[in-house]
Amino acid sequence: MSPKRLSLGGGFYVPAVLAIITLVYLLSAIQLGPPMKEGNMTPSFFPITAALLMLIALVCVMTQEVRRARSKGVEKSDDEAGAEDADQVSKSIGGISFGAIRVVVLTALYLLAFDLIGYFVSTFLYVLMLMFQFGSGSVQKWPMKLIATLIITGAGFLMFEVFFQVRLPTLWS
Amino acid sequence: MESLYGLLGGFSALANPETLLYMVGGFLIGTLFGAVPGLTSVLAIALLLPLTYSLDVTTALVACASIFMAGMCSGSITATTINIPGAPASMMTALEGYPMQQRGEGAKALGHAALGSMIGGSVGALLLMVLSPLAADVALLIRTPGKFSLIAFALVVIIISQRGSITKGMVATLLGVMVATIGIDVVQPVARFTFGSSVLVQGIDMMPLIIGTFAISELLIQADSRSARTVDPSKLQAAKVRRRDFIPPLSEVREIGILRYLKSALIGYSVGILPGAGGSMAAFVSYAESMRSSKHPERYGKGHPEGIASAECANNSMCGGAFVPMLTFGIPGDPTTAIVLGVLVINGLQPGPQFMTQQLDLIAPMFAALFVSALILVPLTLFLLGPYFLKIVSIRRDVLYSSIAVVALVGSYVATYSTFQMALALVFGVLAYFLRKQKYPTVCLLLGFVLGPSLEEYCRRALSINDGSPMVFLTSPDSLFFIALTAVFFYFMVIRKPGEKTLNTTSG
Repeated sequence: MSPKRLSLGGGFYVPAVLAIITLVYLLSAIQLGPPMKEGNMTPSFFPITAALLMLIALVCVMTQEVRRARSKGVEKSDDEAGAEDADQVSKSIGGISFGAIRVVVLTALYLLAFDLIGYFVSTFLYVLMLMFQFGSGSVQKWPMKLIATLIITGAGFLMFEVFFQVRLPTLWS
Repeated sequence: MESLYGLLGGFSALANPETLLYMVGGFLIGTLFGAVPGLTSVLAIALLLPLTYSLDVTTALVACASIFMAGMCSGSITATTINIPGAPASMMTALEGYPMQQRGEGAKALGHAALGSMIGGSVGALLLMVLSPLAADVALLIRTPGKFSLIAFALVVIIISQRGSITKGMVATLLGVMVATIGIDVVQPVARFTFGSSVLVQGIDMMPLIIGTFAISELLIQADSRSARTVDPSKLQAAKVRRRDFIPPLSEVREIGILRYLKSALIGYSVGILPGAGGSMAAFVSYAESMRSSKHPERYGKGHPEGIASAECANNSMCGGAFVPMLTFGIPGDPTTAIVLGVLVINGLQPGPQFMTQQLDLIAPMFAALFVSALILVPLTLFLLGPYFLKIVSIRRDVLYSSIAVVALVGSYVATYSTFQMALALVFGVLAYFLRKQKYPTVCLLLGFVLGPSLEEYCRRALSINDGSPMVFLTSPDSLFFIALTAVFFYFMVIRKPGEKTLNTTSG
């Protein structure tokens, strides 16, 4: 019989990552100096307190998650867990779905392009990509999507640059 | 008398065509965002926030108020017609509205919802106008240790009101508090957690946090869905609705009774004052009380207009109550008022006990907008747009979310003309996405971020003027009062866990 292991999902890993971030924060807070000086709080007191409370809360959440996984009888053999993991991987990576990953990547590229090639080109391309991401996935309606993209890009320009007088970046500006 | 003139001046300010345009426009946007499942009025106000850099503060506040009111009542549209509450505050409405829709009385249910919203919203706005000056007078009595205990009370109540996930509420709140500590210390000129980056010295702006938490994370959540429209057109098999169908019969309104409307409005207003409570709790408490005191409790859950009236009356009245702690103490109790606080801060205004008297000319139009939105725009929108509601809420998702992405990201750019703010919005969006996926209340993240710096400042000031003795929090009467109040709330909301039995009964 194959060994059994506990199947923990995002419910455990999200607080675990937060705990690592909190530890870095706590170390940085400690480097600010002692929390009390001559009976008064220093700039490090509050962050240290917040970080310690946060760590306690995160440990509680992770413990609850382990208990929940155990009580639900989610213990599975390595083979079963492996099969399930493979299934999960096909839909998401590290708890973030492929759809969300695509939006994050597109947005990151948009932010890079925004300053470099200006509002119009970058926004047009970004919106066009998002139109396919949020649509039904059909490429047959691309002329409609193209028109909608032009309208959204133009409306954005009109709203920010014309109505609210925000100077948006342009190519070669 | 001066206050009365000031408040009346608020109504006259609405006559300004530009202000009126923003109020009506805000109401329509709030109606759309409140009605479409997945969108919320908080998201609508979050998207408006960057534009407030260019807008007059009064106009921005008026738009926020009308979005808030519209978002609270429009959730009943899809709650009634397709049993999907457009906003969490309309969950109780769905319990009664959808059975009415199934027996062909959907339009009447929406009429009852609008009437309840109209009465509740108007009463809440009136109570806000009348009671805020009194609350401001009380706020003047609170000294530094009391202010610390009051903010601590608010944070504790926000955390413990997260039913079933108090520890997750605590994590989200503390995360917000920690993010707020980045930058210059609140008391001494010491930079904290900048990690050598000069752009972090000024701290994290509220706007990327709001845009990321409410707009970008929503885009990421919605990226999983492959449906073409926000509401499946196959669910919209609506029969032709005439405008007169929306008018609730007088006999049913009489049966509900003016006292029930007023009681629900008072419940909603009182719940609104509490930090973290929000529209859904107001609707739930009022609905439960209405069922308890009803002559026909057996009709509840089967399409009873009384339930719709009490829930909608309370959640709209809550809008008025929610502004009280924000305006008088500078403590927002819910995300909408936190964003409104952001609008004020962007414009160099800091709410507090004397804010009402010193800046009444700026605030009065917002009060008036709350009142007018509830009294006139709620019924008018139902009458004019009611027959088309279902078509309106079924929007093409590609157009909707692409537009939201552009407004959110370019809006983040507005504050500092730097893509750094946009990148921060994306970072907070990804963070909020993970938190939401694991059922962490992101509202707590925002409120922790907003209240954290004040909590630290008052704590340190209170201790420094009392030689570092923490006993000051127990010897100061105002502080002791809030500590006792915290203990009372903790006892009733955590140890006794109220309403769970009722909630299970009603939802079941």
